[in-house]
Amino acid sequence: MMTRREWIATISAAPLLREASAATAAPVAPVSIARCASYDEDVTAKLGVLFDQLGGLGGLVRGKTVTIKLNMTGSPSIRLRGLAPALTHYVHPKVVGGVAYHLGQAGARRIRFVESAWATAGPLEETMLDSGWNVRALQSAAAGVEFENTNALGKSKSYARFKVPGNAYMYPAYDLNRAFEDTDVFVSLAKLKNHATCGVTLSLKNCFGSLPASIYGDDAGVDEPNESPTSGRDRVGHQGRRQPSKSAPQELNFGANHDPGYRVPHIVADLSAARPIHLAIVEGVESMAGGEGPWVQGVRAVKPGVLIAGLNPVCTDAAAAAVMGYNPRAGRGTAPFQTCDNTLLLAEGHGVGAADLGRIDVRGVSIAQALYRYDS
Amino acid sequence: MRGDGCIYVLACLAMSGLAGGQAGASPRLPKIADWVPARWPWSDAASLDLIGGGPINCLLVRPGTAEFAASATSRGLATLAVVVPGDDVLTTARRALAAKVTGIALEGDFSADAIAAVRQAAGGAIVVELGPRNRILANSAAPVLATNQGVWPGMPEMERMRAGPSGSAWIDTNTGFIRGMRAASDAPLWIANQPPPKTLVTAVRYMQAIADAGMSGARWVLALDDGFAARLAKRDPKALADWGRMLALASYFERHPEWRALPEYGKLALVQDPAKGGLLSGGILDMIAVKHTPVRPIPLQNLAPGSLKDASLAVNLDAGALTSEEQAVLRDFTRSGGTLLTGPPGWTDEAPTGDKITLDKRELERLNDIWREVNSMVGRRNLGVRLFNAASMLSNFLVSKDGRTAVLHLVNYSDYPVENVSVQFLGNYKRADLLTPEGVEKPLELYQTEDGWGADIDKVTVCATVRLEQ
Repeated sequence: MMTRREWIATISAAPLLREASAATAAPVAPVSIARCASYDEDVTAKLGVLFDQLGGLGGLVRGKTVTIKLNMTGSPSIRLRGLAPALTHYVHPKVVGGVAYHLGQAGARRIRFVESAWATAGPLEETMLDSGWNVRALQSAAAGVEFENTNALGKSKSYARFKVPGNAYMYPAYDLNRAFEDTDVFVSLAKLKNHATCGVTLSLKNCFGSLPASIYGDDAGVDEPNESPTSGRDRVGHQGRRQPSKSAPQELNFGANHDPGYRVPHIVADLSAARPIHLAIVEGVESMAGGEGPWVQGVRAVKPGVLIAGLNPVCTDAAAAAVMGYNPRAGRGTAPFQTCDNTLLLAEGHGVGAADLGRIDVRGVSIAQALYRYDS
Repeated sequence: MRGDGCIYVLACLAMSGLAGGQAGASPRLPKIADWVPARWPWSDAASLDLIGGGPINCLLVRPGTAEFAASATSRGLATLAVVVPGDDVLTTARRALAAKVTGIALEGDFSADAIAAVRQAAGGAIVVELGPRNRILANSAAPVLATNQGVWPGMPEMERMRAGPSGSAWIDTNTGFIRGMRAASDAPLWIANQPPPKTLVTAVRYMQAIADAGMSGARWVLALDDGFAARLAKRDPKALADWGRMLALASYFERHPEWRALPEYGKLALVQDPAKGGLLSGGILDMIAVKHTPVRPIPLQNLAPGSLKDASLAVNLDAGALTSEEQAVLRDFTRSGGTLLTGPPGWTDEAPTGDKITLDKRELERLNDIWREVNSMVGRRNLGVRLFNAASMLSNFLVSKDGRTAVLHLVNYSDYPVENVSVQFLGNYKRADLLTPEGVEKPLELYQTEDGWGADIDKVTVCATVRLEQ
């Protein structure tokens, strides 16, 4: 087995030639890493260090509306050996509250937590309660905290359309809950974990959950959205067996590809270009390896003990993938992308950011120090 | 524990007071309504030390000897000999009565003639029928309603391993059956099913079985698997500790007899014949319970003006079974603003036959049609109480007739404690207390919610109760 030093050198110095131009052209931003062994530690203080290493949040959020896409995958009732979802596949409410606190301290005017809660259009607060979260504590973490379930219209009266700049991979544009538009700053707060379809779930893949099931769900209306969705997005997003509601832009080459390992990474990359992420946070204090949720066979609970943040989602995910023991530039067929395309490289191809560790300024704890091999 | 020609002796430990009118009882016997039954796999008097001062007052021993019956009696125990099909029924019963047992328990499916013969032989001694569910209401005037048919409560293994990110966890439970029976009869109800064979039954699983019956006002006839019984006989420290936890849980429900007297509450009412579909586990009542919707079972035979008081939604499974008077009650309910959901066309509620106590696949598929409508009708509505982070739990919500006191029982069917459970109550409650079998009794902070009051519970191990006062 390679030493940590050798491994970092390998993944930093061997970008694939055909991707070199995209990697050098795509923007980069610093990534900050901090150790946090347990949720019993002062998570809020650790997050403070993390954000300070990025230069602070004030310039980004002061006086602004900040929308934070949480990572709450699947039904909260499905659990790995009875563990609370936040200890395996959901972001932890202590991290969520800590982020809200720092955003508030940095002067954010309004902090809106969003997630397309599994198979429901009900209030996001109820999904949080069903996950064992203390919603009242979250509300008091900062002034102006709001919640929106983006699985349907929610509190708005219409959807917002996000056009993919340049050449879209899958859809020319995506219709999302208006909370994704009515914001000055967009944050992706994700879990450090694998994904059965995409290899890794990090800040980019987290945003696949921005798609409302009312339009992109299995039971979405054919013509208009179904404002009472009760299913996931398998037939539209993963399988390409049906189009989204006709009210939304349709798939570009419908029927051409039914491979989830192709489709989902391409959709995620599209979304990352259409709805830019200003701050990417990846939480890996405790997590899950082997998949994105307890329903994936062979998953196991892990304790990487790490928090990662960055001002560019591709750079942040590249560092996070490296912390997990993966080459962020690995191609299809190589772990963790054995059966899928590399979302990071696809986002890089859209010019969202560079997945080249050699160009990324990693601050705080080094990748080698934070390394926690998910495939060990 | 069963065998050819076996006699089980169900011994009931006197807890207090004099016998409540049952003939042949020791003067020290408690009322039959207070009997807390258990199967007892030992026949030596020393084994009775395991009962100590605990709540269990019904023990199953084998063989049933005069010596054991005398020992039991000397400790304030009443004894019942259990006779099973295959025995020479009358001879076995007479032999047991000659050994000075208090009465007879007929376990299994006996003919009416055999039951009558045993009753005659017993004279004034009590005869308890631990029969199949579909016979339970045939003897509704009995001092105890009992059945030896039950599902083993808990989350099925396949549920734990289920694939896909969707859905709620299913829970095997006897509560739907128990609640239906208790709505139809005031008699004490015993569930006398035994642990699944060839299965490692943990203390937590035993406690779930105790709590499953207890929260619905019934009693599980405690039955130990052979391995656990052997370890307990050797006074294995771990087994003794587990036994202590089980007794503490049984004691928890016995310390609060007032809970059994509280009527169930829910703005959703289910009209069902307890002698038909109500005999099954996994039916519509259990489906609704898994969704944490408080639902009040109303026996079809009890449907009368006023029985739907406080209900805003009602489900009537078998529209064709109603008399014109019963139809008028439901018509008045809808005219006064209530929403009524009836079973799918052609649906008839049928009594189970033979040993069947759960729905088969075809019946489940049929029931799914109405279940989807119920689910849609209920939506996010608070019909008395809403629970959050309670996927592995079932609950029972009880409210006094004057509405001033309410009790919410929570039972956790997973192998792990559940933390951070939130409950939201309809109504204007001023005080809430959390009680647990572990001895916790503490006030809960109440906070205002969209349609009432909420409270947060830190942790539920197997069982917890929220007591509310206006």
